[in-house]
Amino acid sequence: MKRYTARRIAWAGVVALLILTITFVLLELAPDSQLARVQFRAAASGESAEAAADAYARRRGLDGPLWERYLEYLANLASGDWGWSDTRSQPVAEAILTALPYSLMYTVPAVLVSTTLGIAIGLYSAFNQYTKADYAATFVAFFGVSIPNFWFGIVLLLLFAVYLGWVPVLFDAELARTRTFSLANARQLALPVFVLATSAIASTMRYARAEALEYVRAAFVKTARAKGAHEWRVLTRHVLRPTLVPLSTILVGDLLGVVLSASYLVEVVFGIPGLGRLSLEAIRRQDTALVLGTTLVPVFVAVIGNLLQDLAYAVLDPRIEYGDRR
Amino acid sequence: MSDDGVDRFDGDDSRGTDDSGRERSSESDDSGRERSADPDDPRRERFEDVDWDAIGEDTGGVTRTRLAAGVAVGLYALALAYDLVVAGADPTVAFDAGVPWRAAGASLVWDVTAVDWLFVATLLVAGFSLAPLARNRRLTAHYWRRFRRHTPAVLSLWYLLAIFALGTVGTVVIDQPSLDVAAAYQPPVFLSVDASVPTECVGPVVEGRCRGTWTYPLGTTGNGRGLLTLAIYGMRVSMQVGLIATLISITIATAVGTTAAYTGGWVDEALMRYVDVQQTFPTFFLFLFLAYLFGGSLFVLILIFGVTGWGGIARIVRSEALQRREEGYVDAARISGASSLSVIRRHVVPNVSNSIVTAATLNIPFLVLSEAALSFIGLGDVTLPSWGQTIAAGRGDLGTAWWISTVPGLFLFATILAFNFLGDALRDALDPRQEV
Repeated sequence: MKRYTARRIAWAGVVALLILTITFVLLELAPDSQLARVQFRAAASGESAEAAADAYARRRGLDGPLWERYLEYLANLASGDWGWSDTRSQPVAEAILTALPYSLMYTVPAVLVSTTLGIAIGLYSAFNQYTKADYAATFVAFFGVSIPNFWFGIVLLLLFAVYLGWVPVLFDAELARTRTFSLANARQLALPVFVLATSAIASTMRYARAEALEYVRAAFVKTARAKGAHEWRVLTRHVLRPTLVPLSTILVGDLLGVVLSASYLVEVVFGIPGLGRLSLEAIRRQDTALVLGTTLVPVFVAVIGNLLQDLAYAVLDPRIEYGDRR
Repeated sequence: MSDDGVDRFDGDDSRGTDDSGRERSSESDDSGRERSADPDDPRRERFEDVDWDAIGEDTGGVTRTRLAAGVAVGLYALALAYDLVVAGADPTVAFDAGVPWRAAGASLVWDVTAVDWLFVATLLVAGFSLAPLARNRRLTAHYWRRFRRHTPAVLSLWYLLAIFALGTVGTVVIDQPSLDVAAAYQPPVFLSVDASVPTECVGPVVEGRCRGTWTYPLGTTGNGRGLLTLAIYGMRVSMQVGLIATLISITIATAVGTTAAYTGGWVDEALMRYVDVQQTFPTFFLFLFLAYLFGGSLFVLILIFGVTGWGGIARIVRSEALQRREEGYVDAARISGASSLSVIRRHVVPNVSNSIVTAATLNIPFLVLSEAALSFIGLGDVTLPSWGQTIAAGRGDLGTAWWISTVPGLFLFATILAFNFLGDALRDALDPRQEV
């Protein structure tokens, strides 16, 4: 088990490095709109476009060979220097640290709520298959997974902010920063959390129900009941545990995907100055350093998530050995 | 005595099971209760019946299905070659009668794009993968009976078929929505809006309110495009994204997942480590990058979704296949001398197919939603009138012209909902392990 854990951790490091490299290469291939602008200006004023391009590259530190810049980049990264954002005139690390709390403010509650409720409702539904409660839960799940969260956000904003006036229309970043744990902040975060949780809860619930159904009628569950195990024990020990194995796969991959991509839309719709909007803005304005920086955060989250999932896999299902098979 | 008995012994590798479903249907079919309840049962197969088609297939002979598939592939290749060589850069491709089911569109103007070619290929593959169902009527009837119990799913199926027909045939017949500033902000028919909202009211103005007309049944956008036409064009985009990319994904996922689980060792390790890497890069982010590099054309979007979106499905297939691998019927098949490929194809894949179908039907709405989301934030294909783009366009007019964002939003919602209902019902109908 120790060796397995060490190997998985080492592998997580390799993955992170691989992804950094791919991202670096992809961005290296990207056309630089600022370079084109510099060249156009130089050509328009009668100067050599080539000389201007050279000067531009030197100024931005883009004149060395590719691998040299790559190594330098990795070294900077390791030392905490994540580059300089041109469009925001501040270090990338600083821009990310400013944006990150806004994203966490609504993603953390949404993930906690949706995971707990999702698994609970999914298990309940599986145990009470084809009852009214099951149909109600299924309906909620279908609604949550089917409603496009950006459209849902717009509709809710129109209803609750414009017509009813219960929540503010515009997100007050100043309020969120200074009084994070205040009622006023909770009020303006209620809609984003609700929108994100409805989409995340639904997929968790559906998968939990589908996976649990496989075990509800299994022989070992019948045996447990026959031996006098309480319903609660059957539920937690005999159904939840094997259900969690495939579910852990889905929770990490699916939930992470939902939350990361949804954060872009939710932040655009509600005007939250979080990581998603920062990243989107960076891509639009081709701020290479900032794009790379804003991708590192979700990538690190995903790498660690996958690592935890692999370890959970080995712990939860004794049939899956953690050594080499055969 | 049950006449299905012959199918139940999976170890009797290729003779008794002519397709994936047969061995799965037996569990519920052999309950005498169901049979007696339905005396007019058309199932007339007997224990001694031999499925000669299946045997012919096993020995590499030419069956009718194979012949049809061969002809279809040939025609497809010919048509593709015609488009590439003869039509070339010519924007309009007029079809000859050689293309089987597109004959009606022959005289119409239709520039066949790369996406359209992929779409036709997808439909062909989907059609031929349904061939076993058409051949085995008893099995089809059985599945249909199980499926029919879910009324919402049956309704969803009809809705999706309608969307599909409108999106494929409708877009060939109906012209692209055109700009018409004079017809801006018309409300949907039967509804009315304050007369100050549209610049000119196409319909009658009653008591200071502009009424919708049948000219624009679902109203118009801020630049006068009819929302009904926009919605129909949106159907095509959504269907193409969902179906093509999902077919690519499940093909790769099934191959990778079963290979990894069945082979084990370093192959498993290598494949799953690759999935790790791919999974850590969320599809959405990857698309942002590639859209930024190559421009967000629909073709690129579909390829990216298809080629990068199979990691999760492959993991599900693998974890399911790992469990199947330990089953007795796999041992039995192997002892009877079946090759690994044959065991995977005949015993492992059919028995994880419920997971594959569930994953695929969840994948389609996810892709439809992703495409809409990307179009919404302006990173999709700007040349195509997709639902997401229309929702984004109407976002600024919500206070006055609420229908612009609402109409495509409702279509998007209904389509995704229908796919979800369908997927759930299919899972219940296809899973032989649970009897309802």
